[in-house]
Amino acid sequence: MSDRRSSSYALAYWALRALPHLLLLLALLPVWELAVSTGFITSILVPPPSEIIASIWELYVLDGTIYPHFLITLTETVAGFAIGAAVAITLAVCSALSETFKRYVSPYAIVLNVTPGIALTPVVIAWFGYGMGSKVALAAIISFFPIFVNALTGLLQVDRDSEEMFRSLGASDRQAFLKLRVPASLPLVFAGLKIGLTTALIGAVVAEFAQATAGVGVLMNRFSFQLDMGSSIATLLSMTLIGLLLFYAMEFLDDRVVFWRREGRRSVVSRARARRWAAKFGGHESPETEAASSK
Amino acid sequence: MNMPTQNSGQADTADQAADAGAKDAVVAARGLSKTFADGTVVALEGASFDIAPGSFVSLVGPSGCGKSTLLRLIAGLIDKSSGHLKVHGKPVDAPRTDVGMMFQRATLLEWRTAIENVLLPTEIKRSLTKEDRRNAAELLRMVGLHDFRFSFPTQLSGGMQQRVALARLLQTGADVLLLDEPFGALDEFTRERLNVELMRIVAEVGATTLFVTHNIAEAIFLADQVFVMTPRPGRIASIVEVPFERPRSPSLQTSPEFNEVVAEVRDILGEDH
Repeated sequence: MSDRRSSSYALAYWALRALPHLLLLLALLPVWELAVSTGFITSILVPPPSEIIASIWELYVLDGTIYPHFLITLTETVAGFAIGAAVAITLAVCSALSETFKRYVSPYAIVLNVTPGIALTPVVIAWFGYGMGSKVALAAIISFFPIFVNALTGLLQVDRDSEEMFRSLGASDRQAFLKLRVPASLPLVFAGLKIGLTTALIGAVVAEFAQATAGVGVLMNRFSFQLDMGSSIATLLSMTLIGLLLFYAMEFLDDRVVFWRREGRRSVVSRARARRWAAKFGGHESPETEAASSK
Repeated sequence: MNMPTQNSGQADTADQAADAGAKDAVVAARGLSKTFADGTVVALEGASFDIAPGSFVSLVGPSGCGKSTLLRLIAGLIDKSSGHLKVHGKPVDAPRTDVGMMFQRATLLEWRTAIENVLLPTEIKRSLTKEDRRNAAELLRMVGLHDFRFSFPTQLSGGMQQRVALARLLQTGADVLLLDEPFGALDEFTRERLNVELMRIVAEVGATTLFVTHNIAEAIFLADQVFVMTPRPGRIASIVEVPFERPRSPSLQTSPEFNEVVAEVRDILGEDH
């Protein structure tokens, strides 16, 4: 009940904060429009906002051309990211557990990092073809490194005092790893995942630019060859949209998993744990009061 | 009166002396030494003492006097270089369940609520029972944090975090408590209040306590015995008996008798204190 009220307050607060930004944007658009219509900027190179809006209307509403491409690029990005992240985290865990493993893996990780991942595009297309496979592969390859490095750093940065505390409690290495090092690494793991996700989108789009039959990259190539700048920019906005969608999905996950770093989430989780405890083990006192009084 | 050789005389006696000492003492050491790997730093040399059950011992001295080393030896976190060390009559060779340790930093896990942190020691040993959970809640009540048992460490003040750490230490069920400057990072008011509470709590659970500090007054106020330690090489210069009745109130620290003991300890530590 109180949660719902505070979330509607939050919404109102957010809307109030967004309003000036929206007004500023709306004020800038006529200036841009005027600059193009008076010939100050060539309309062939920079389309006026009205043309972009018309293209958006056509691509997204009238004939909906964008959607299959949008979905394909989104799928490639997510699949590539998932593969890259799975490999990166597995290798990071193995490297954290075994010094020998780390010694043998890190040279390759470094080589992969200093090689511009995008330069692999022709090779990846030769290997995996014109279809989605090559896009997924490139997205996976270039999202691998930031995730690997962050996860490994997170797993290796150990608080010495906490580790000594675990040892004094007679904890096994396995327990210290699972109960201390893994949770302690999560903030950095998520930092890596966020970078990796953005990188994966770059990989998918670049591979589409190079050689593909579908995807927003293909669409954009086609429009700019036709010098249809309005549609080009309307397509570009779809990439922004994919980026935002993925970023906020990740942000949401980060918020849930690494809740202890988020002030707002912390008290919500604290109340939830109190309720769960009361339900499972019986709480003689109302648990609602304590998290509130701890503020 | 304050001869530094008070207890190290029997340091080199045979094993039988170690056995004799160990019978009624909770912690017994004979000629206990620790030299660190490179062989040049003697962290602790020839420490010999017996600690009676339920007593409170303060370890006081400047940095490098070996007080933390001594604590870590008893905790089984590091190995001795020579000498004898027994806890409850058994040699110490690894961390054990009857010895618990608390550090200057609370070292709470940020992603666990206070009560989940308190339950950690039990969780490491076995799966939790309803009894464990009741006990943890009870310990948090004892340290005055029952209302905060579902708060996360970052929602608590430094003093409250150390109280949680103390409850976690008690949850281990250890009857030898090793406290390494547990309130050293806190402000003086909080530290004093926690010291008084600590005395009450360890008396209540009947634990044998070793308390490391570099504050002389604090060391005397809390303890039955003060191990006065000096550096280079780290050693126990003298063991000072503290004669005051319990329970003690903070006003004891302004009495002339108290200040006499402070002066005695200062004397042993020498001019740099």
